[in-house]
Amino acid sequence: MTSYALFLGCTIPARQPHYELAARKALTKLGIELVDLEGATCCAPPPIQSIDLETSLAIAAYNICLAEEADLNILTLCTGCFESLTIANRLLKENRELREKINKILSNAGKEFKGTKEVKHYLQVLMDDVGVNHLKQNVVKPLNNLNVAAFSGCHLLRPSELLRFDDPERPRIFDTLIEVLGAKSIPYKNKLRCCGGLLRGYADDIALAIARDKIVNAYNAGADCISTLCPFCFLTLDLGQMLIKTTYKEEYNLPIIHYAELLSLSIGVEPKELALDFHKIKVDKVLEKIG
Amino acid sequence: MTEEKPLDFTREITSRLGGETITHCYQCGTCASTCPVARTTERYNPRQLIRLALLGQRDEVLKGDTIWLCASCYNCQERCPQKVEVADVIYALRNMAIREGNVPAIYMEFATGLMSEGRLAPISKFLEKKRTEYGLPPLKPANVEALKIILAATGFDKIMFKKEGASP
Amino acid sequence: MEEVKVGVFLSDCGGQIAKILDFEALTNFVKTVPGVTLVARGSEFWRGQGLQTIVDAVKTKKINRVVVAEAVPKISEVAVAKAVEAAGLNPHLVEVLDLKDHCAWPHRDTPKEATEKAKAMLLAAIEKAKLLEPIEKAEFPAVKSVLVIGGGIAGMQAAEDLADMGFQVYLVEKEPFLGGLAAKAVRFFPTDDCAICIQSPKDLAAVTQTSRKCVYRSGFSEIPNLNILTNAKIVKVEGSPGNFRVTVERKPRYVDEKKCVACDLCTIVCPVEVLDEYNAKLSKRKAIYINKPLVYPPAYVIDAKACKFHECAKCVEVCPTKAINLDQKTEQVTLNVGSIIVATGFREYDPSVIKEYHYGEYSDVVTHLELARMLDAFGPTGGVPIKPSDGQPAKRIVFVQCVGSRDRRWNPYCSSICCMISLKHATMIKEAFPDADVTICYIDIRTTGREHEYYYERARDMGVKFVKGRPSEIVHDPATNTLIVEVEDELLRRLLELEADLVVLATAMVPSEDAKELAQMLGIELDQDGFFKEYNAKLRPTETKRRGIFICGGAVFPKDAPTTSLHAHSAAVKAAKFLMNGKIVKDLKVAVVNQDYCGNCQFCPVTCPYGAITLEPKGDGHFAAKVSEILCEGCGVCVGTCPVGAIELRHLKPSQISAQIKALLSINGTSKPLVLAFSCSECGHAAVDSSGMAMMNYPANVRVLRVPCTGVIQVQHILEAFRAGAQGVMVVGCKPDGCHYEVGSQKAKQKVEMAKRLLQAYGIEPERLEMFNLVFIEGDKFAEAAKTMTEKVEKLGPLQLA
Ligand code: SF4
Ligand code: SF4
Ligand code: SF4
Ligand code: SF4
Repeated sequence: MTSYALFLGCTIPARQPHYELAARKALTKLGIELVDLEGATCCAPPPIQSIDLETSLAIAAYNICLAEEADLNILTLCTGCFESLTIANRLLKENRELREKINKILSNAGKEFKGTKEVKHYLQVLMDDVGVNHLKQNVVKPLNNLNVAAFSGCHLLRPSELLRFDDPERPRIFDTLIEVLGAKSIPYKNKLRCCGGLLRGYADDIALAIARDKIVNAYNAGADCISTLCPFCFLTLDLGQMLIKTTYKEEYNLPIIHYAELLSLSIGVEPKELALDFHKIKVDKVLEKIG
Repeated sequence: MTEEKPLDFTREITSRLGGETITHCYQCGTCASTCPVARTTERYNPRQLIRLALLGQRDEVLKGDTIWLCASCYNCQERCPQKVEVADVIYALRNMAIREGNVPAIYMEFATGLMSEGRLAPISKFLEKKRTEYGLPPLKPANVEALKIILAATGFDKIMFKKEGASP
Repeated sequence: MEEVKVGVFLSDCGGQIAKILDFEALTNFVKTVPGVTLVARGSEFWRGQGLQTIVDAVKTKKINRVVVAEAVPKISEVAVAKAVEAAGLNPHLVEVLDLKDHCAWPHRDTPKEATEKAKAMLLAAIEKAKLLEPIEKAEFPAVKSVLVIGGGIAGMQAAEDLADMGFQVYLVEKEPFLGGLAAKAVRFFPTDDCAICIQSPKDLAAVTQTSRKCVYRSGFSEIPNLNILTNAKIVKVEGSPGNFRVTVERKPRYVDEKKCVACDLCTIVCPVEVLDEYNAKLSKRKAIYINKPLVYPPAYVIDAKACKFHECAKCVEVCPTKAINLDQKTEQVTLNVGSIIVATGFREYDPSVIKEYHYGEYSDVVTHLELARMLDAFGPTGGVPIKPSDGQPAKRIVFVQCVGSRDRRWNPYCSSICCMISLKHATMIKEAFPDADVTICYIDIRTTGREHEYYYERARDMGVKFVKGRPSEIVHDPATNTLIVEVEDELLRRLLELEADLVVLATAMVPSEDAKELAQMLGIELDQDGFFKEYNAKLRPTETKRRGIFICGGAVFPKDAPTTSLHAHSAAVKAAKFLMNGKIVKDLKVAVVNQDYCGNCQFCPVTCPYGAITLEPKGDGHFAAKVSEILCEGCGVCVGTCPVGAIELRHLKPSQISAQIKALLSINGTSKPLVLAFSCSECGHAAVDSSGMAMMNYPANVRVLRVPCTGVIQVQHILEAFRAGAQGVMVVGCKPDGCHYEVGSQKAKQKVEMAKRLLQAYGIEPERLEMFNLVFIEGDKFAEAAKTMTEKVEKLGPLQLA
């Protein structure tokens, strides 16, 4: 059994337990052991990077140190965490000067970044550790050609120079993993473009307009749902549809479902075992379609 | 509008983490064209932001609201033919703006959350109950003490709070 | 051995410098130096009566070493050497020094000190002269024939020039037909004429009554001395300049060029159809085919990848002249040539790596060359731009500039001709289809050539639209089968979505695929972008650092047709100049290896900038370095590199360097600590010259020792200088990237760093040693450096040698 340090971040445990629940169930079922890290903090995502890049690197490095001490690689669910931790991990591994600078800061808290561990998004764990074939064998309830609009979120792919997750212009991994579950990953306009989530709270009007584009494009392409990997994308698109209703007087009712939830459902987790009531846009249509 | 000698401002940016590549820019507009925000609102255009910065328009760049409109999606950075790390440059500009007191309220909130709880989104009693209901393990507390030491070492606490309540 | 008799000739430059230097004291001093048998003073010695004095001294007084103190040493050196040679003395037994610019002028405020320094300089020159040895000339036979690699416009033009001049020329082209890019490009700017039109060879023009024609009508192939080998590539190059042996591999054509009458019967019966790459895959051709427009040879060829050979053999049956032979084999030919010209051109970059433009995925996104095929009346669409996806005429056409060029992710350079190609194509389309909607998205429009700007003007007149902005993505709308080009119109600061039937990418131009392999075979270099590197972009633009090998045209960098022609003619002249005497005569100012010392460390073969050193078996099972006399340029970089001191220059022996070091430091005459400056003969020495010419001042304690290239300097030379009394040492060389011997100045820098570490280990301040990289116009910097170095050393106090 492969073990990982589960890095939950801030938003998932505090706002989206349905994501955590689905991910824990699915990954455990697929033979991945998840170890909760003691004392982990925020990953220092873009808002903190905006305040101070150096601090952000130090915070991310601190959390990586926790995994190094536990001798475990990190598994993240949130793409934001994936990005912050991967960037820090790669930059510090590859740039000695920067590493020394950050280690000087960390030494105050009794830590030293050694650069011995990897940060992985759980999709990578599915690809590398579980494997597409093994995953396929575990699918007991194929998703019945469900039309899924895959939306990985920006920070799974970009900046590709550091994240090195997939081809940033022609990603395949997420789509492959959707199709293994028996669903269809459908093409739609501007698939790789941002949802605007990070502008929420600062420029809500712009954020909503960008989110609306995303919804409209997926909707027009005939999607049964949009599948997400990131809690911010989820919130932006799920709650966003409520706001679109009031602001634009438009109703799409397009379910937003975390990939972990689709995964759980397909490998035999019952809907009632998941926290689907956390979705603002009800997912019943999807459940119906997959039977 | 104060106009600084363009070179001075440019040097200041290139010497910052994230800002190193700004001088590569040859104003091709790829970033603007690919930017989801620029495509949505006239208020924002990354190419123009870089241009202003390279022309030394310090106040217009650091005091305004433009720099806060980037969604950090990295589309521009991915496609810039001159390998300008556009999104990172914007982080660098934000880092500079913050130090000059241009701190949007929401960022103040994030920083406060980080400093007091070690997390940006503190967990509510309701959620704690829900977690138990779903059979999720109780959330392990963040090591706020260690974090505070780090924030003190980088000067983060001072960056954020030296100008109390400062916001645009 | 013949007794050494040194004659010293002191020019006072018309009395000018005698106002500063005490010539009487100098004359008396020189007289006391052992070996000197004659001292003469005059106002100039490098021409006229003065020069005659030297000649007489050689003839009658049997002077066999000549030391001349004269201004403009470079010119005087040549004149004196020539004169003494005519008088029967080996010209390398002459040593010239410059008492004016290196002594009198810069130290004019301290005449006493200057005179003392002049003594030291004279002594050094005399001591060196005593050790000079004759250097003989060598002759290497040169075959009067040239291999031209690449049959595009550059190769054809160079070949024509040389054949016209009477050289045997072999023109080797890897494709089955000549023409290169030109054959595909339809028209060329700025003449707007057919791309494959060339000058008719002089003699043939008289016969055909025309001056220019398409290649095949021009009579090009009929030029005497010109041998054309198509479908052929270079597989091996051996030998040396003047005498290369080149192995060429000819792929079978399966059609006898001499028998084929181009009747086309074969293609009618051939059952195999494939997409025609030559026509951008917009049409099909048979397995046996010929390209149109016709270039050369006017004979069909069989595509071995497609042909079914004996399973079918229909064409063999039908050929009226029995020209087809399906059993033809690859053959090898060996050519003996004196010189080689590389004219392999450039090619279009494959833009599919720029994924946001979806080339190769959306068939209506094409490159310039593909569009050119459409605009060719002979071409697959008969001159009409179409949408390859459905064959419909393209009415809305968007050009995207700088695709893969000026892009740090792919090719950082500007490909320099694609702006003009777009303007040419846009106007061609507008001319034929005035209603077409043509837009060019650009970052900058570069129309720097003669008449180029008119294209831009004409395009605007004709209604071509220009959008300043580089598109970020090309999107395909499946519902309407339309392309959408996303771009910011920067001048309006507006984001546009341009609808297009056809998007044309102005792709980068990159070196031909085989450039790397060829460069390796020829022993020449490529630049950082993979183009063939010239010896010196300004002065020797078509030469390489290997004698006898020349480069031209797009192989060196993307070029338009006029520049390509110029380049080709230049290469042809250089090759002709190199071979015209049928022999290469050269003074053997080269390096020699003492094979007994050589430790086979393999440093020198790698370091020699001219690939002049090889390791050869010694017979006792060991290998030793050997210098090729014809390839060696005599820079001495190998001398500085060899860890065991096994190499020396015939024109600057170690003993000569030591003697000069000692002599220059044997007399001080100033109150300041002695500083020795090693300078290269090129920019370094020129900077010293110019500081004197410009009457800069620097103290007389600074003494200059000239070496061919600073690369020759070994750590031990530096230590020797300190041991001989120098308190500071300067190394004055060319700019690191402007070194006349490529790497010498960089090697010297490394040596200086090494010596500094060593000094430190000995407890000597490493600041006593410094490297300076100067050019001619930086005489002020040399003077400045000499001053600061002196001050620094003064401050450090006397050197303590353990
Ligand atoms: S894409 Fe790059 S070079 Fe072009 S305008 Fe934006 S930052 Fe400048
Ligand atoms: S990172 Fe910012 S500037 Fe760049 S494309 Fe995204 S939102 Fe626009
Ligand atoms: S010639 Fe024009 S299109 Fe070509 S790389 Fe240069 S600027 Fe770009
Ligand atoms: S002297 Fe220069 S050219 Fe001659 S062998 Fe040595 S390094 Fe090569």
